[in-house]
Amino acid sequence: MAVTVKYRLSRPVPLDISLEICGLTVLLGISGSGKSTLLRALAGLVPAQGSPWNQVPADQRPVGYLPQGLALFPHLRVWENVAYSLRGPAGSRRQAVLPVLERLGVGELADRFPHALSGGQKQRVALARAMARKPALLLLDEPTSALDPVTRTEIFEELLQEIRNSGVPVLAATHDSGLCHFADRLAILDQGRIPVAGSPAEVFSSPPDPRVARLLGITNFLEGTVHSGRGGDLYAVAGAGWQLLGRSSCSLQMGDLVTLGIPAEVIRPVLEPCQAGPGENILSARLSHWRQEGLQVGLHFSHPFPLHARVSSPVAGSVLAGNAQMVVQIPAEFVHLWKSLRQSKDFS
Amino acid sequence: MRSPGTGYWSRVRKIFLPAAASGVLVFLLAPFAALVFRTRWLHWHYVPGDLEAVRTSLVYSTVAVLVVVLAGTPLAWWLARQRGRATWILDALILVPLLTPPLAFGILLVSFYGPYSMAGLALSRLGVLLDNTAYAFVLAQIYAAMPYYLLAARAAFEAVPAELEEISLTLGVSRWEGFWRVTLPLARVGLAAAMALAWVRAMGEFGIVLIFAYFPQGIPVKLWVNLQDMGLEAVYPLLWTFFLVAIPVPLWLGLRARRRAMVLTWR
Repeated sequence: MAVTVKYRLSRPVPLDISLEICGLTVLLGISGSGKSTLLRALAGLVPAQGSPWNQVPADQRPVGYLPQGLALFPHLRVWENVAYSLRGPAGSRRQAVLPVLERLGVGELADRFPHALSGGQKQRVALARAMARKPALLLLDEPTSALDPVTRTEIFEELLQEIRNSGVPVLAATHDSGLCHFADRLAILDQGRIPVAGSPAEVFSSPPDPRVARLLGITNFLEGTVHSGRGGDLYAVAGAGWQLLGRSSCSLQMGDLVTLGIPAEVIRPVLEPCQAGPGENILSARLSHWRQEGLQVGLHFSHPFPLHARVSSPVAGSVLAGNAQMVVQIPAEFVHLWKSLRQSKDFS
Repeated sequence: MRSPGTGYWSRVRKIFLPAAASGVLVFLLAPFAALVFRTRWLHWHYVPGDLEAVRTSLVYSTVAVLVVVLAGTPLAWWLARQRGRATWILDALILVPLLTPPLAFGILLVSFYGPYSMAGLALSRLGVLLDNTAYAFVLAQIYAAMPYYLLAARAAFEAVPAELEEISLTLGVSRWEGFWRVTLPLARVGLAAAMALAWVRAMGEFGIVLIFAYFPQGIPVKLWVNLQDMGLEAVYPLLWTFFLVAIPVPLWLGLRARRRAMVLTWR
């Protein structure tokens, strides 16, 4: 089941959005980009023009909405919250929602008030409440923000399973790129529009510009000049004391100034000097410092250009035993090239 | 290591502050003790007209508070949900009648609703005479109570997050039904306190009533008349009755509102 939304609004944030929502669609954008506003517009809480449900009042839209704070009714018990949208005598409404609460693992909390629940329990109750109305579209605003960082992946996966079983398409707005791993479809919201949408693999493999790349978690950016074309979308790019192969979705000319973006996860230190294979970059780099980053280790190189790599602890252990000058391998397919904005300005 | 001032501040906190707080409370409640001692309990009797004044105050205050609640509640909700730069104008418009001295307000009412004013003439054609009548009495009480009710009720609604009303909408419940199922239950204690405040204001209003509706006489005007005609001793029975009918319900509601506020703070 999929829903295609086309919405336009001018306040509080100007937005002009066209988006197909199927399965779990994650809408990624920086804070203040208008993600929440778009969700509120779809829920009918902010005036907007668009389809579907143009000018339909919020209480008549088949849309479930979970705001960031979840907004459980504090004066109602858990079961009363979930049964809020149902009609009929209290007894039958309670009977109707108890199986849902059991399935979500909060059946024994049915008679508690929201203030006595943990973040994950609140999330489950809020989801059950939104789903009780059997919506045609479910909107989640920063769904992981209320969850404990330690258990949030586990809880979110459980909730996601429940949503997937229902078959309702979901639009989840977030600035947390970690949520992209769960997505069936990924859309980027930037400057009031959606410049790119598709499967996470598509979006991650070819971010349209450095802004989007930054949003997707790419941290290494540098500038270089196109040295030569290597066939297809492969280009050799050179800078002061280095040369790299990279991919560009648009055609580049020799001498073009380009921005390179390299994800930290694809940079691999190698123990022995080796020859670059086809589509590979081999670079001699100097390690300036390293830092533990959760279960991984961040390696920071200073030469030939500032570079941040993220590797697993065992890999880091073996390379850190050697000297500071080391060889790193960067697959060309993950080196993204974009025509430099500076150059475009010069040409215009 | 203890700082040199720790012992001093500890003494201040443990001895001086409770003593000062007790002093202020004694100062506030001392006049009530005078009432207990000065009342001639063995010669308790009402002055003629006292019970009629009690009835007048009770009946007309009930009517006035009903009008205030029915008209003021939707307005207070609307005021609570206003966001924008111009809200200070609304605040000022409510504060003006609140800050106007009662006697001055009485004069304003006479000027606006009096028998020779346009509004007074228009109303008299409809059979509503606002010259020392029950209508005038209730109107004076409404003017006395409404600004207080509006401010307190608005605060009660402001304490209910607008997000809950929005969520109620997205769950397919109309705004009106959501108001009854979400907004009102969550604001009920604050609204009850606002109602209590309106009741006390309506029952106790003297200045506006004195100028605008001297008759029929409610408790405050009758107390003043008794004081003028018969002296201090004659007012105590009516004063006790005034306290008994005007204070307990608002006091209970006020304590409930306070207790609920503390419970919410602990959560």
